[in-house]
Amino acid sequence: MYVGLSDADLAPRIADGDSEAEAEMCRRMGPRIRLYGLRHLRSSSAADDLVQQVLLKVIEALRAARLRESDKLAHFVLGTCRMVVVELRRSSHRQEALLAKFGGDLIPEASPTPTLDDRQLARCVQTLKERERSVVVMTFYDEHTAAETARSLGISEANVRVIRHRAMAQLRDCLGVTL
Amino acid sequence: MDHGGVSCSNPVEAATLMDYWLALLPSTDEDAIEEHLMTCDACGNRLRQVISLSESLRTLARSGSLTVVVSDRFVKHAAETGLRVREYAPARGESIQCTVAADDDMLVARLAVGLTTASRVDLSWCEPRGVEHQRMADIPIDAGAGSVICQQSITWAKASPTMTLTARLLEVNETGEEHLLGEYTFNHTRTIPGPPGWE
Repeated sequence: MYVGLSDADLAPRIADGDSEAEAEMCRRMGPRIRLYGLRHLRSSSAADDLVQQVLLKVIEALRAARLRESDKLAHFVLGTCRMVVVELRRSSHRQEALLAKFGGDLIPEASPTPTLDDRQLARCVQTLKERERSVVVMTFYDEHTAAETARSLGISEANVRVIRHRAMAQLRDCLGVTL
Repeated sequence: MDHGGVSCSNPVEAATLMDYWLALLPSTDEDAIEEHLMTCDACGNRLRQVISLSESLRTLARSGSLTVVVSDRFVKHAAETGLRVREYAPARGESIQCTVAADDDMLVARLAVGLTTASRVDLSWCEPRGVEHQRMADIPIDAGAGSVICQQSITWAKASPTMTLTARLLEVNETGEEHLLGEYTFNHTRTIPGPPGWE
């Protein structure tokens, strides 16, 4: 019944104490928050912590009807993500008491992670041109910036970007990954 | 575009998603992507695929199993992060003895060469009779570096029998003519117990 509701429809229901609307909001937002956490915290466990902390803050705000424009729920969640990541970086202190109380209910089922055939990937990488392979290896080994890779390989930063994009497109084709 | 049962009418380009994951986007572009991802599960599912590809590439890059031209910083970073790097640095025209141990993580040849005028350089790996075993065409070169650093596949080297390989750095001009910049001979002795992967 709640699946078809928009984010904007969920917010006022949560303010009215509707626990099913809360659950639907968590189901919907949890995986999105986790992706944000993976990008900015580079750790699955830290991303899971972020999901819990953000959902706690969002639920608190929605229950207290502090979100004035209900169609801004996603924007509010994103803003909360940014704030919590800053807090997490500033201190490793966790909201353990709150998590002990609510934590179990706030961990969404992790979205399935696509798996790749590592041998096929290795074969595909070996088919790249030399510059493409060097750029890919140096980019992904320890996430060199384009500037660092460019300096190391004696090519321009713009060229690194072009080479990387071309190589990634070729790898996706080779692996049969459609994006 | 449909991904995982959900669709997006305005999907983020795959290359942009990869740049986002690699933190290579300007902050305004990054903000826009994040606003979109917070409302779009189709693009979120695509980002998961990008993450999966990225993580697999990182694992592969760190495995030492690829044959690839790398930078000095790359090799230093590998050693600093705890990888056991075996490195050989022959001078031009030199023939050296070499091996690889079972617990080595990375095998690197540092080939001393002057590259100030070369525009295209190939690295050719030849067997003793001169038969080309592998050609790495148009390798990336840093004219000021004074060397070409090639990571040889550690997987291949560990399986290799005792053998000799010669690396030739060749300048190739527009008409395809080749000029030898340097030649380096590696006399590999198998020291890992057990039979090699081939004879």
